Amino acid sequence: MPAPYLTAPISADPRPALSLAAQAPTFTTSQASSWWSSLPYPLTLFLNTESQEKWTSYENLFLACLRTGDYPTAYTCLEALIARFGKTNDHILALQGLYQEATAQNTGELEEVMKAYDEVLREDPTIFSVRKRRAALLRSVGKAAEAIADLTVLVDASPTDAEAWAELADLYLSQGSLEQAVYCLEEVLLVMPNAWNMHARLGEVVYMSAQKMEGGDQMKALAESMRRFCRSIELCDGYLRGFYGLRVTTGTLLETLQGAKKGQPTTSDPLAGDLAPPSVATVKKLNAVATAKLAEIVRRGTAGEKGWDGYSEAELKAAKDLIDRDTQRIER
Amino acid sequence: MAAIATAINVLGVLFLSHAVYSAYEHSLLPSASTPPPLSHSLLPNSLDPKITLPLDITLETLFSVLLLCAGMVLSSADLKPIQWRVWAGTLEASQEAREVKEVGVGGGNPYQALEERVGFWDVRGVGKATRGWMDGGGDKKGKGRA
Repeated sequence: MPAPYLTAPISADPRPALSLAAQAPTFTTSQASSWWSSLPYPLTLFLNTESQEKWTSYENLFLACLRTGDYPTAYTCLEALIARFGKTNDHILALQGLYQEATAQNTGELEEVMKAYDEVLREDPTIFSVRKRRAALLRSVGKAAEAIADLTVLVDASPTDAEAWAELADLYLSQGSLEQAVYCLEEVLLVMPNAWNMHARLGEVVYMSAQKMEGGDQMKALAESMRRFCRSIELCDGYLRGFYGLRVTTGTLLETLQGAKKGQPTTSDPLAGDLAPPSVATVKKLNAVATAKLAEIVRRGTAGEKGWDGYSEAELKAAKDLIDRDTQRIER
Repeated sequence: MAAIATAINVLGVLFLSHAVYSAYEHSLLPSASTPPPLSHSLLPNSLDPKITLPLDITLETLFSVLLLCAGMVLSSADLKPIQWRVWAGTLEASQEAREVKEVGVGGGNPYQALEERVGFWDVRGVGKATRGWMDGGGDKKGKGRA
């Protein structure tokens, strides 16, 4: 089985999904028309065509076809999955729901999909995959408040589900409630403390909330954001997103610290777990480290050296723009 | 490095087989069955072969074993990173580490699932965006991270 079938086509980049969907029809026909699948029952026991890759590939092809709009092939994949795992399997129920959501033409049909979800949940309220699809459908039609309520019930029932907390954080962020988003991301980090990308995400969200604050609170928030990015760099060598965030937060911190030289002393209460704000020297050093590392990553990434080719073009361009923007300011 | 290691392994095997065969051939000679000058042996009488071997066969055997040990160590695979940050760094920075060759092996950043969140995938929104992109002409050059 060639490797591309094993990655789910849900990233922001549509190209892998396109290539997967193009290969889907050949895959399904090859699986169905092989001579061994038409043997009578006792002989099929001797032939093993099962493998983990087979069913992962079916699911990924199904998702890719739904994404590009190839509904007949998607239905073939879904039928194969149902034939193997049964209609009442938790995960298969979610996939069936996905198919119905994708092929719904108007609000009426979407309402019917919602009713089907409620029906399933009435019979068995513990099917989390269907709960998640229900929340996703509510968000998709624009009912954000109901989606938030649904997700709150979900995380109440299953507080270690990091994916649900991350989705809740994203929902709160889209509604502008930054404090709640920060709380949810902290819960994600409780469950998965070594997730360097979630540390970076939390740093980004705290930085966003810092821009709405003033004075001592803003300083504290900026310092926390900087610390989050530092932690993400500790967890991952050469993390471009972490260094980018570190550069931005240290830049803003330096401006704020220099602007508030004579200003308010920021109170730090050790009992409440606050840390003292970082000194100007530390922030300057971090800024220099971040700039140097960003320059190195941009240089090596654009040259395409082996071991440095995993950065996307967009990321490298953004990093380059950040460095150039600040050097322009210094030159002027 | 791989070529040198293979060469050392081959030499080691050749020398070992040569030494073993020489020992066998030598043991068939009548002169070999004269008892050795120091006739106390660590082995009990029934297990003692009472054969004298020339020194160079023994040296050749030991030399071939040393060669094989060196060759096996040199031809072994590269050590994988044990520090979390080094491992995470390779996942972020290198394209190879992102490939999935078997289910459960490879696949890049395992925490990327927290940002992609398959369980909550917005199929209608993403589908519409993808079809819009396809209708708008798709992409002209296929560069960048897949």
